[in-house]
Amino acid sequence: MASFDVMPDVQLYQPAELDDALSLADRYADDGWLLGGGQDTYGWLKDRAKHPQAMIDLNGIEALRGIRESGDGLEIGAAMTLREIIRNERINRDYSLLSVAAEKVASPQIRNVGTLGGNLAQDARCWYYRRGLACYRAGGNICYANAPDSMNREHCIFGASRCVAVSPSDTATSMVALDAVMVVRNINGERTVSAEDFFVGPDTHITRMTSLEPGEILTAVRLPSKWAGQRFYFEKVADRNTWDFALVSIAVAMSMDGDTIGDSRFVCGAVACTPHRLRNVERAARGRSLSNESADAIAPMASEGAQPLNSNHYKLPLMENLVRRAMRA
Amino acid sequence: MDIATYKRDVWGREVLLGVSWDLLWLVLVAALVIIAGHAVYMAMQQRREKPSIEGKRVQRHETTDRVMHWIMAISILVLLFTGVLPIIGIEFAWLTLHWVSGLVLTAAVLFHILRSVFAKDLMSVWISSSDFKEPFDDSHKPGKYSLAQKGMHAAISIVALLVIGSGLVMFAMIDTPWWDRTNSLSESTLGWMFFVHGLTTLALIALIVFHLYFTLRPEKLFYLRSMFKGWISEDELSAHHDPERWAPDESA
Repeated sequence: MASFDVMPDVQLYQPAELDDALSLADRYADDGWLLGGGQDTYGWLKDRAKHPQAMIDLNGIEALRGIRESGDGLEIGAAMTLREIIRNERINRDYSLLSVAAEKVASPQIRNVGTLGGNLAQDARCWYYRRGLACYRAGGNICYANAPDSMNREHCIFGASRCVAVSPSDTATSMVALDAVMVVRNINGERTVSAEDFFVGPDTHITRMTSLEPGEILTAVRLPSKWAGQRFYFEKVADRNTWDFALVSIAVAMSMDGDTIGDSRFVCGAVACTPHRLRNVERAARGRSLSNESADAIAPMASEGAQPLNSNHYKLPLMENLVRRAMRA
Repeated sequence: MDIATYKRDVWGREVLLGVSWDLLWLVLVAALVIIAGHAVYMAMQQRREKPSIEGKRVQRHETTDRVMHWIMAISILVLLFTGVLPIIGIEFAWLTLHWVSGLVLTAAVLFHILRSVFAKDLMSVWISSSDFKEPFDDSHKPGKYSLAQKGMHAAISIVALLVIGSGLVMFAMIDTPWWDRTNSLSESTLGWMFFVHGLTTLALIALIVFHLYFTLRPEKLFYLRSMFKGWISEDELSAHHDPERWAPDESA
C-alpha cells in the first residue's frame, strides 16, 4: 500500500468551545475524527488507511485542559499534554504512577504534543491492521496476525477473540491501577465510566479499543484520593528505551500497612487487548511483605491462563519477572 | 440499499465481506406488513366455531419431540440475539454464547433428522401434490400437518441447514477449546460464508416472526398447547384434520 507524505483532503474544525466540539462530533459521528496531539492520527491519514470526512481539533478547548481538585481526588483535562502531566507537582507527589508512565511514552517530542486523552484512546498497533488490511478490527472477516507464519511477537497472550492486537497505551495501565474514572460527554450530557470498563476487548467490540461511542468525547480523567501517595511501581519493557511501544509493561499500586501489603492493583500492558488486571496476584499479595520470597511465590501467578501465539511466548516470563521486580522491597 | 458489503483484500482486490445489515430493518418491516395484512384479512373472514377441548384427547407430539422442539427454539433465539444485538449496537461478549448455542442447535437438528428418518413417519411432514387442494377446498382437510405447517417446516429446515453449515465453517476459523483457529480459508471464501450466514439469518428472522405470529393466532393456539402438553382434543382433531390421513394415538 502506498504511503503519502501529504494529508488527504479533510475538513478541519478547530472549535474553541466544548459544546461546539460535541455538536461536530455528533454531526459527523463515525465520519469524524477527534484530534488531540495527532500522534496516532497523521499516520492513519497519510497512509490513507482511515478516511474521515472531518477532523475535530480539540486542542483549543480550554474546558479540556487543566489539572484541578475534584470532590475526591484530582481531575485532569483530557487535552493536557503528557509533558504537562509529567511536570505537574501534585501528580508527581500523589500519583507518580501516572507521571512515570507518561514519561515512558514514545519520545520527548511526542510527549510535548501528545495528550492524555489521545494516549488513552489510541488505536491498536497491529502491523496488519495499521497496514490497512481488511482484518477483523478493520471490519473484515480474518486475522492476519494469528496465522502460522504471522508476525505476532508484539501481540496478546490474554483475551483474544478473533483479533489479537494489544492495548498500546502506557498511561492506560496506570489509569486502571489508580481506579481512575473517565468522564465522557456527548450532546446529551455526561457519563462516567471506570477505567477498567473504559477499555473494551474484541469480544465486546472488535473495531474499537474503548467504550467511546461515535459522538462522544473523553473530557477528563478523575483520580480518586484512595491511591494518593501510596506505593507505586511502573516498568515498561520495549525493544528500545525511547519511541517504542511496550512489549510488556506493569503498573502497580499498593496500600501498605507498615511492611504489609493491603489492597493492591497489578495491571499489565501489552499482553491483552485491554489493560490486564492480575487479580490472582492482587489476592495473593494481600497480607504479604515486599521481599524476594513474596516475589518468588507470587510471580508465577502472573501468567496463569495465558495463551501465547507462535512468536510471543517470551511475554510469559517477562510478565512474571515484572511482578517479581514490583514485589521486591 | 446494498445487499452485500465489500472491502479490499491484501492484494487490493475487492472481496465480499458479508450481507448488508441494513436489510435487517427491511426484512422486519416487510414481515410486519405481511402479518398486518394477514391479520386484517382474517378479521374480515367469518369466524368458525371453536372446537371443544373437552372429551377424549389424542397425542399430537411425543415428549421427545416436544423437548427437541423447545431446545431448538431456545438455541435459535439465543443465536439470533447474540448474533444480531451487537450488530444493532447492544454490545456484550457474544461470541462464546453464540457458538455454544450453535453447537446445541446442530446436535438437536442432527438428532431430529435421525429420529425423523428412522423412528418417525417422515412423510407426514413432506409436502405432496394433494396438499395443494387444502387452500381451495374446505372439505379437503390435512393429515397431521397442514400445507402451511409443512411449508414452514420445509423453509425453516432449508434455511436452518444453510445457517448451520455456514456457521460451522466460520466456527473452524476461531479458537475453541478443541482447536486453534486455522485461518485456512481465503478472504473471498470467508466472505461468501459470512454472506450466506447473514442472508439466511435474515430469512430465519422473517420465518420466526411468521412462526410466532401463526403460533399465537387465536385459532391456532391449540397447536401451541400441544407443543407444551402433547395432546389435542378429538373435537379439534376432527375440525382441523382428516382422520383418514392421520390416525393419532388416542392414549394421550
